[in-house]
Parts: sequence; C-alpha cells; structure tokens
Amino acid sequence: MSELLQNLIDGLGRGSIYALLALGVAVVFGIMHLLNFAHGELITIPGYLAYWAFTNDWTWWALAPAIIVSAVLASLVIERIAFSRVRGATDFTMLLTSFGVHFIVAAGFLLYVGAGVKQIERPGWFANTVSLGSLNIEVFDLIVIGATFAVLGATTWLLQRTMFGLALRAAASDFDTARLMGVKSDSVIRGAFALSGFLAGIAGVFWIMREGQVTPSAGINPMLQGVLAALIGGLGSLRGAVLGGFVLGLAEVLLRSWLPVDIQNLTTGFVFVMIALLFIFRPGGLLSVPQVERV
Amino acid sequence: MLSRSFPQTRRDVAFPVIGSIVLFIVLLGGGMLYQTILGNGSAERLVTTMLIDAIIVVGIQIYIGNTGILSFGHIGFGAIAGYIFAVYAISPEEKLKRIPMAPFGLTDTQVSPTVAIVIAVAVTLVFALIVGIGLARSGAQSGSVAATVITLALLFVTHEVAKSWPELTGGNRGGISFGIGESLKTRLPILAMLFAALLVARLYGQSRSGKLAVAAREDNLAARAMGVNPLVQQMVALLISVIVVSVGSSLRVWQIGSILPDRFFFDYAMLTLVMLIVGGRNSVTGAVLGVAVMTAARELARRLGQDGFEVFGIGLDDAPLDWVFRENLNSVVLGLAMVGFMIWRPTGILEDWEFDQWLYSKFGRGDESEPERLAELDNIPDVRFDASGINVAFGGFKALTNAGIEAAAGEIVGIIGPNGAGKTTFVNVITGMVEPQSGEFSIDGEDLAGKASYELSRSGLVRTFQNLRLFGALTVRENVEIAALVAQEHRSERTLRDVDSLMAEAGLWEHRDRRARELDYGNSRRLELARAAAMAPSFMLLDEPTSGMSDTESITMIEQVRHMAATVGAGVIVIDHDLAFITGISDRIYVFDQGEVIAQGTPAEVQANPQVQAAYLGSAAMT
Repeated sequence: MSELLQNLIDGLGRGSIYALLALGVAVVFGIMHLLNFAHGELITIPGYLAYWAFTNDWTWWALAPAIIVSAVLASLVIERIAFSRVRGATDFTMLLTSFGVHFIVAAGFLLYVGAGVKQIERPGWFANTVSLGSLNIEVFDLIVIGATFAVLGATTWLLQRTMFGLALRAAASDFDTARLMGVKSDSVIRGAFALSGFLAGIAGVFWIMREGQVTPSAGINPMLQGVLAALIGGLGSLRGAVLGGFVLGLAEVLLRSWLPVDIQNLTTGFVFVMIALLFIFRPGGLLSVPQVERV
Repeated sequence: MLSRSFPQTRRDVAFPVIGSIVLFIVLLGGGMLYQTILGNGSAERLVTTMLIDAIIVVGIQIYIGNTGILSFGHIGFGAIAGYIFAVYAISPEEKLKRIPMAPFGLTDTQVSPTVAIVIAVAVTLVFALIVGIGLARSGAQSGSVAATVITLALLFVTHEVAKSWPELTGGNRGGISFGIGESLKTRLPILAMLFAALLVARLYGQSRSGKLAVAAREDNLAARAMGVNPLVQQMVALLISVIVVSVGSSLRVWQIGSILPDRFFFDYAMLTLVMLIVGGRNSVTGAVLGVAVMTAARELARRLGQDGFEVFGIGLDDAPLDWVFRENLNSVVLGLAMVGFMIWRPTGILEDWEFDQWLYSKFGRGDESEPERLAELDNIPDVRFDASGINVAFGGFKALTNAGIEAAAGEIVGIIGPNGAGKTTFVNVITGMVEPQSGEFSIDGEDLAGKASYELSRSGLVRTFQNLRLFGALTVRENVEIAALVAQEHRSERTLRDVDSLMAEAGLWEHRDRRARELDYGNSRRLELARAAAMAPSFMLLDEPTSGMSDTESITMIEQVRHMAATVGAGVIVIDHDLAFITGISDRIYVFDQGEVIAQGTPAEVQANPQVQAAYLGSAAMT
C-alpha cells in the first residue's frame, strides 16, 4: 500500500512536467494544427542559458525566471522566423518544418558550444526528502506537483475567464469562424505560442534541475514526452493533454516498479507498447475530440 | 470493352524499366566520375554511402510518396533489420566476444550474409505488419499527425531497446563488429539492390495498388467514394517499402561492419527525410536527385567546415567567414535545407515529375485521336435502389423521420427541398457517412446499411461531391483511370466503358493531360461526372451538381448528366435545391421538408402539389 502511494507521488511528479509540456503542445496544435516537434527546443535553449548562468555564478532564484522568460521569447522567435511562414500549409509541411527547426537549433549548439555534455549544478535541496510515515517524499516532487497545479489553475483561469482565453478557445475550435467574429489571428497565434513557451519554461525549470545537464539534442526527450502525452489524451483537447501527461508519468513509474528487475531497463519500450495498445483500442486518445468529416 | 486496359505495357512497365536503368546509370555514373576525379579513398567511401542511402531513401519514398503519410519509423524498421542482420551474420567467435549471452540460441548460429539479409527482411516485415495495423487503426491518411507520431514512437522504441538490451545488441558502446570475414568490400550487392529498389519503386508507383494509394493520398474521402480502401493500399505500400528499407539497412550495416543504436536514429531519419523532401517526395526521380544533391551539399559543408575555403585553394582560411565554416556545419545544412524547402518549396525540386513518364509522354505515346462518341446502352440490367424508414436524430433534433426513396434502373430521380429539409443528411446516410438510428437501404435486395463507403460504391452506388473532390495532383486521365481500375476489379459484370471515351464524352478530351486542380469549375464538375461514370455504377448519386453554376451552365449540365448516365446504364439520384434544374432533369421527384418526404411524383405532379408550394416555394409564391 505504502509502496503504491510512494509510486503515485513519484508518478505525479514526473507526470506534472509531462502535463505542462503536453499542454503547451496542445495549445499550439489546437490553434494552427501544428504538432510542434521543436517544442523540446524550448528546454534546450534555456538549458544552455542555465549552463552559461552557472558559469557566471547565478543562483537558481535568479535563474528560474530567466529560464521561463527565455522559453517564452524562444517560442515567439521560432514562430516569427519559421512557423508564421507555413501557416495554413498542409500538416505534412508544418510537421517537417518543426522537425527542421529542432535540427537547426540542435546543430547551432553543436556548432558553437560543442557536442559535449554541459553540467548544470542542481540546487542544494534537490535530493532532500521529507518522511511522512513510511513514505519518503522528495521535496523536488512536492515542489513540482505544487507548482504544476498552481500553473494549471492559472492557465484554466486564463482560458476560461479572460478575453484572450475566449479568443484562443474560439480560434482552436474553428479558426476561420473566429476570424470572422473579429478575433485577430496574428495576436491569438502569438498568444498561443507565448503561452506554450511559458508552460514549457515552467517545465523547463524542473526538467533542467532534474537532468542537471544539457546537450545539443536535449530537446528530443521532452518533445517526445510532450507530444506523446498530448496524443494519449487526445489531440486537440487541452484537458486531454494534461490528463495524458499524468497518465504517461504514472505509467512510467508504476511499470518500472512492477517489471521484474532484469527487464526494468526496457520500461520505456513497454510504455510505448502500452501506448500502441491504447491507440488500437481508442484511436482518438483518452478524451478524443470527435473529428467531423466534411463533405 | 476497355481498349486501353490496365496495366498499359509501355506506360506502366516498359518506360518505368527504362527510367530505372537511366536513373541507376546517372547516379552511379556521377558517383564514379567524382570518385575518379578525386581519386582517394574517402571519395570512394562517400560514393558507396550515397548508393546505400539511395536504396533506403527510395524505399522510404515508396511509402511516403504514395501515401502522403510522413514516417520517421522507416529508420526504426532499418534498425530492426540492421540488428537482425548483424546478429545472424556475425561469426560465433565474435559473438562470444560481443554478445556471449545472446538469447534464442543465437550464440551458435551463423549464416551467410545473404541469408542473414533474407531473415532480417522477413522478421522486419512482421513488425511492419503490426505497426501497419496500428497505423490503420489510428485512421492514417495523407498528412495525418497521429500516424506520424506512431512512426516516431517506433523509432524511439527500437532505439531504446537497442540501447537497453545488450545481450542481443551489444548495447550502446561496443556495438556489434563483424567477424564475418570482412565488412563488405565489393560494391556489387549494393549496386544490384539499388537497381532492384529503383525498379520496385517505379513499378509499384505505376501498379494498381500504387495508383489507388496515390488517389487516397490526394483525397481520402473521394478515393473511398470511388471504391478504394485506402488502408489496404497503405499496408501494401508499407510492406513493400519496408522490404526495400530492410535490405538497404542490412547492406549499410554490412558495409560499415558494425552497428550502434545511434546509427539508426534521429540523425539518420533526418538525413534520409531531407534527401527525400529536397528532391521531391512524390517521385522516385526526386528521391534519387535528393540523395545526390544532399550528399554533395553535406560533403561540401563538411569540407568547408573542416578546412575553410582552402578546399578550393583560394586560401581564405582565416577570413571573416570563420564563424560559419566550422566543424559540424553539415548538420546545420540539413536543418536549413528542411526548413527552407518547407517554407519556399514544400514539394521539393521536382515536385512529382517522374523521368520515365516524361519520356513516355514525349516518345512513347504515339498519336492519340479523340475516340468516337459512345452509344447509349440499350439493355440496362434491371436493378432497384430502395431506401425506407430512415430515421436520424442529432441529439433532440430529428433530421430525418421515416424518410425513403425508390429508384429503378436507368431512371433519374430528383430529391429537392429547402435548406434544412434533410437532403444532405439523407445523402450522408446512403453513402455510409452517417449511421441512421433505424432504416434500411439496398441495391437489388443487397442490404447496404452499415457498410463502409468504399463497399457502397463497389456495390454500385457511386457519388459525386457538392464541394468538388478531385485527385488534384493527378491528371484528368488518371482521375478517370482510378475509377476504371476499381471498376475492373469490382464491377466487371457491368459494361465497362473506355477511359478515353468517357473523357471525350464529358468534353474533357483536350484537357486529358492537365492536372485536375488546374481545371476550371465547369470542367471540374464534368470530371467528377466522368469519374463517377467510369465506376460503371448502377446508380449515380449527384450531390448538388449545379451548385455555383449559371442557369445556362445548369441547362447544359442536364443534358450531360442524362447522357453520361445513359452511356453506362446508370440510374441517377440527384439532390439539388435548384427547382428548374431538378424538374428539368428528373423522371420522378421526391420533396423533402423538415426531415420528411412530403410529396413524390412526376415533375408536373409535384409542382402542382399545394403542400410542396407552401413548403418549398414559401408563402410568397402562393400569392
């Protein structure tokens, strides 16, 4: 029982980061049907910033906001330079554009910083745990979970209660109609990218803290987890993306604890197989958005 | 009856073979030239690598090009094939060193490299089948995002397994090196397989399955309405492309002499994709061109990155451009090529230009003269269409209440009603797109309720679309041909009309080689009609065939619809809100209002019906 509880908390901690990433992916997908394979770069770029900051003796207190700001800026810049030029293109074109952006960013760091692993010092409290009965809870997990729920709450408020949120949801459900109703497409798309970057920035703070290092291709894993989680939840559904993130995190942790020791290192493989099974039985994901075929 | 039956030997077999030979010679010749001029070992290795990349890229083209589904997974399949090839081909002594704990009793097995390739292909095909089923379940179609993520996941799974199953794969560091004599020294197997790959890709592209897959790529819904099951054709394309990719990947492992998880991962997936995209993913010629261009560009970038401008002997070594010419410049080139092409030319250099088809159109076709007009069929098989008791409710709103129509062979039946009368819902029901709460419909007693749209059209009910749905990138002739191909297979008991004659009949003869998307509105409508007729349907279902047409055009359309239907002996069910058109064309008319059939009869009877006047013409007309 306590082991299960322990795993649940671990899984929630892991899932929180995925949920933030997935929500960022889903916001952009909803608004322009772009599945952003460059979403991970919103962690790579701040990652190198963090590396630079540490060599200049910044503290995490200064660094965390810097990470978030840089993620938002990176998201906006990438939109401006690349994605704004393929707006309205086929899904195929947009997918490959984002894939290309990932490669340009990765190759840029490879060119100017080098292929080596750059270490980033974790904060002193990172490995601390608090004991609660038989449970050992990592402080890190608690902070991640707390921060994630706060951010998700704020995002919900933003989407449900503000004019920007209304415009964003309207545009996500029917872009053309929303424009006819006076929603400014440029600003709503930029807003979506800014929000996506902000969410990635929060996730990035924790991701970078947990990994404690950065490499040119560091964006691949967070991208994959975010994209998969969004897909598990049901592409196009914001709630689904958050749910998908938590499901993915819990699945990873629970599976690792249940698998026999000698095949534990294949956990990721098994998670993928489970995702495949999910798609076979529920092709649209957990909270699938009904796709109307237009004749 | 088909004077130009399928496949056409010259167009679909002879010229593709010639084209493959030419592509092969040009690629190899270019490589040999470069190698001879530079005359060093690294040039030779570069050319060998290019030839192997070409096999793999051409293999990927078979899937991506024909289905329009973006796949990262082919390099994952390549990893599977590569590892299987490696563990079978490696010598027992090497195995003891590298993978002494290999499962499945593999430690003592050794087979010749050729046999190992065969095993690798066979096992990889099993994986391809499973992934293919998953893709089909996800509703894969051209550009579909979920399908792409599934293939991406496959790439990651294979990589993950390769890294974390060292008993079989040698893990991340050591890799499996070869003690099978040596690594591949001769180029012969590579050349043979490259030629075979080109041949397979071109012949598949011209094959029935290839053409149907391309139709589905262009418009999935329209393809299904023409009796194509896209999922089957996608699976065929996947399996064939995986065979080619598996062979190419095995050769890649053989030639390098070792395998590591990272060799078949993101970077290689990116490289092969960029090659395919840059040249033009929808053509094999494009794939080959892309391989050549990107190999050259990357080599140039690599050398510039290493030596600055000195490769050209200009000696600009410590020039201000140093910040650009750095090591790993070639990776940046890849990313820039991808994004640049996506922004400025997403279809690649050649788009879908295929060398052998160009050759055929220049030299292979001979003279074509416009075929004679077709006579209308006089003995039409006696079939009936019946729909009855159809109820559809969307939530609380009753879209259709006990609706139904009947139509006899050769008859033209009109359905008319004001907006919101339920016409479109009715069409959607009998074309399998909306499932009714109750009701049945059948052709000649064959119950059609619950069937998929491609089954409906094979049974003889073929539709057109209110918003045109043509296979845009295909020519007028190819559009009609797709339908004729399906008819050959599924409608052979009917009189099948020649593709050329149908085009001429629709007044499209002079436009036959133009792409469908270049046609004007009226011609597009006529092409939809000709395409539907080529299915040899029992009934053609025309959804607002005159929408967007002027009155005079509508009147011409009446004659064309009548004549087209008569030449293939089809009955017509036509939905429109244009009263003049419907009364002009129909033998009998059903009037829908608020989801119910409120009247039926001959045009005169219906027009005289006061209920109809009230419902359709409104009170203004009554006064």
